[in-house]
Amino acid sequence: MDVSTGRLRWLRVPTVIVGCGLVLAACGGSSTSNSNMAPNDKQILRTNSGTEPNSFDPGQQTYDYEGLVGRNVFEPLLKPTTDLKDVTGAAASSYDVSSDGLTYTFHLRQNAKWSDGQPVVAKDWVYGFQRLLDPSLAAGYVDPYFDTEIAGAQNYGNVDPKDTTAVKTFINGLGLSAPDDHTFQIKLATPAGYFKWAVTLWVATPIRKDIVDKKGYSTWASNPTDVIGNGMFKISEETPKDHVTLVPNPNYWGDKPHIQKWINYFISDTNQAFSKYQTGELDVLNVPLASQDAVTNDPKLKAEQHKYPSLNTFWLAMNLQKAPFNNVHVREAVSRAIDRNTLVNQVAKGQYTAVQSFIPKGMNGYTPSLGSVQDYDPAKGKAALQASGLPVSAYDTVKLLTRNTTTNLLLNQYFVNQINTNLGLHWTLDTKDSKTVTGTYLRKGNFQIYGSDGWGADYPDEQDWFDIFTTGGCHGTNWGCPNDKSYDDLVAKGDSALKQSDRQSYYDQAAALMENQYWVAFLYNRTEVDLVKPYVQGISDTGIDEGIYLPGDFHTNTIFIANH
Amino acid sequence: MAVAKGAPARGALLSIRLPRSRGANLALYIARRILWMIPVLLFVITLTFLLMHLAPGSPWDRGGGRQLSATIVQNLNTKYGLDKPLPQQFELYIWNVAHFDFGLSYQYENQTVTHILLESWGPTFTIGVLAFALIVPFGIGIGVIAALRQNTWVDFLAVGFSTFGASVPNFVIGILLIIVFSVEAYHLTGGNVFLPPGGFGLDFHVVLPVIALATLPIAYIARLTRSSTLDVLRQDYVRTAWAKGLRERLVVMRHVLKNSLIPVVTALGPTFAFLITGSVIIETVFAIPGIGRSFVVAVSSRDYPMILATTILYSVLIAVANLIVDLLYTVIDPRVRLS
Repeated sequence: MDVSTGRLRWLRVPTVIVGCGLVLAACGGSSTSNSNMAPNDKQILRTNSGTEPNSFDPGQQTYDYEGLVGRNVFEPLLKPTTDLKDVTGAAASSYDVSSDGLTYTFHLRQNAKWSDGQPVVAKDWVYGFQRLLDPSLAAGYVDPYFDTEIAGAQNYGNVDPKDTTAVKTFINGLGLSAPDDHTFQIKLATPAGYFKWAVTLWVATPIRKDIVDKKGYSTWASNPTDVIGNGMFKISEETPKDHVTLVPNPNYWGDKPHIQKWINYFISDTNQAFSKYQTGELDVLNVPLASQDAVTNDPKLKAEQHKYPSLNTFWLAMNLQKAPFNNVHVREAVSRAIDRNTLVNQVAKGQYTAVQSFIPKGMNGYTPSLGSVQDYDPAKGKAALQASGLPVSAYDTVKLLTRNTTTNLLLNQYFVNQINTNLGLHWTLDTKDSKTVTGTYLRKGNFQIYGSDGWGADYPDEQDWFDIFTTGGCHGTNWGCPNDKSYDDLVAKGDSALKQSDRQSYYDQAAALMENQYWVAFLYNRTEVDLVKPYVQGISDTGIDEGIYLPGDFHTNTIFIANH
Repeated sequence: MAVAKGAPARGALLSIRLPRSRGANLALYIARRILWMIPVLLFVITLTFLLMHLAPGSPWDRGGGRQLSATIVQNLNTKYGLDKPLPQQFELYIWNVAHFDFGLSYQYENQTVTHILLESWGPTFTIGVLAFALIVPFGIGIGVIAALRQNTWVDFLAVGFSTFGASVPNFVIGILLIIVFSVEAYHLTGGNVFLPPGGFGLDFHVVLPVIALATLPIAYIARLTRSSTLDVLRQDYVRTAWAKGLRERLVVMRHVLKNSLIPVVTALGPTFAFLITGSVIIETVFAIPGIGRSFVVAVSSRDYPMILATTILYSVLIAVANLIVDLLYTVIDPRVRLS
């Protein structure tokens, strides 16, 4: 986006045309398949998110299994286009950015209504954002808004949540305002070219103050059917620990979804979910690595596979604060010793693709030339160990920290075998209860090397990725704590540069720095593999969907059930 | 309670006659037993509280994937009082429990634990009662028939079943039932005849979980009934009953069964415990939204208030079940006196 042009308005008509051009399955599909579409009483979609949302209050939601329902019951200001190249209007029909890149003005839709029929106005947005940033609410997914950008929010971590006056002062000092009923303005502390993406997250929504006041600040959404949202769907019923049912919101401003009843189950047991899919009680199911063979070997299931790329990258995290991984040569040896192709073809049964760099293909800013320094090359690995100047005993018996889940054990055993075979070392696994790994080892920096760590895009802007390896992310988003000042500077410049081309060049330098320094050994990208019943059509998936639950969950209005 | 040794065996055949002070005795006995539950519960709470906080892992960390940032973890700790010293947290918890306030769940933000338990007890109770309704007649029936037809094929079949049922874990039985009666049945009949693999509803949904949950207790009760019935069958009074020329039904129902069931009733108490521990697994395998599944979720997500409240609930249930069994003794065996 070129902010120097000043006002940038989203033209709805071209957007729709571009949308159709790219989403052949969706737009082309619906025109040819209208006759194929099942009647309304058959428009029932059954999915499984594995876990019940911790809350139905978007401000208190954090995880992917919450986002699936969250982003369909509430609508954020903007949403990503299906090709993920840019954003398009959602609850805001358009937005402008001031020439200094500091003021974002969102033009809200005049006809937007809450699911109870009341109009959505700008003060609902101000309240929603203020509440999200209230430290006493302790919202889990608030980082994108205080880390960097909204004016006044930088103090988030310094406010004592129990000090009500301090909290009030903090909230009122945030750069959020409502000049009129249909204009919502956000002031930023520093320019942030990625801010348009941050407001696509489902947690940043309007909230009805009258309802919160009546039902309780943090408890207003405890009864799911009381939730009044501005999204395409609304919650019609919930059976706790079992399922939630969504139906179209009759007051939604835009195109109504084809699906008339969307039942999302909370089945945690993968065998149970697989049985339900096979007996026709689930329409969409993720295929875990352990079940891939069963699917591949069954012609019917194999035909129902729906594979698509997802924006994520996985790596081995090495602790740069401790020997032997404070030595760059040892880190290089690790990266050189692992054959990614065998990993993806044999161990991962085709569910992964090999990578040697940070930003995955499909992300804005993906630079194919990066990462070759991390290529598999055992000879160079051995040479690197020689160059380290360390005695063999310093790196011979490293323990690789692993969670005790099937997939982690499978992968990490492979990595250790590769290192032992290709470098002639004697590494072992340090297997720990999955739940204790984060608190006891990672957060405290109490490990040598850990796998697989990774990142999945919140939104397809590189800021979301490069920020995690900054010094501020030490023991929070990055476990190895490289704590490199020059990297921090490059990322800060990339985050705040006004021109996209400048941003890109800073990020590319940062990427080269971390890859050349082998902060981590990049290994693989995970492809989403789902089973989808053939009658579920009109799916337009993107690389940032909650794909393991429902591909195309950003564009549920195009999904429909065909006659069957 | 004590069984008066050497009391005349025929006492068992007499109708129960209550001494005058029996009612008052009973009330006193029950009151005392209930009072005794308080120190037991305190002990359970203390132990659970300590173990829970000793276990590594935090309610805000996840078993993989993205983790919350340090700032947010700190705010959550403040919000839920986890920043206070442990003894103070414990004191506060005991104080709240004394007022029947079990706190807010960490996993399901802003829902009270009481609310979660109340909304999940229905499925657990239904499955448990149905399983119990199978356990008593089938367990006792199989045991008695096996004993009466000892060393015939009926007996071998019953013993074989009991051995199988007692040795195969119920999650294996559950998964087997799902594969055979849901998935394979669906494939073989083209989707016309099959049982639902999971979920909860007052219809065919309960069939598989109830069978999976009841198998182990049925096997256990059947073995117990069989051996105790064999014992009783060798007693003199049974021989006398046969000698008097009584019909088989009368001998079995009045003379054998009444005496052979005393150890079985004792075992019904632990059967409750079976049902509770079993429900934890069965509800996970069959995706039933009950207390057992909530408990599993709570343990894996370190939802401290939920773990504590569920443990308290289980302790109370087992204590009450044992009390009921002890009271039942007096009905079955008048030699038993409550003291």
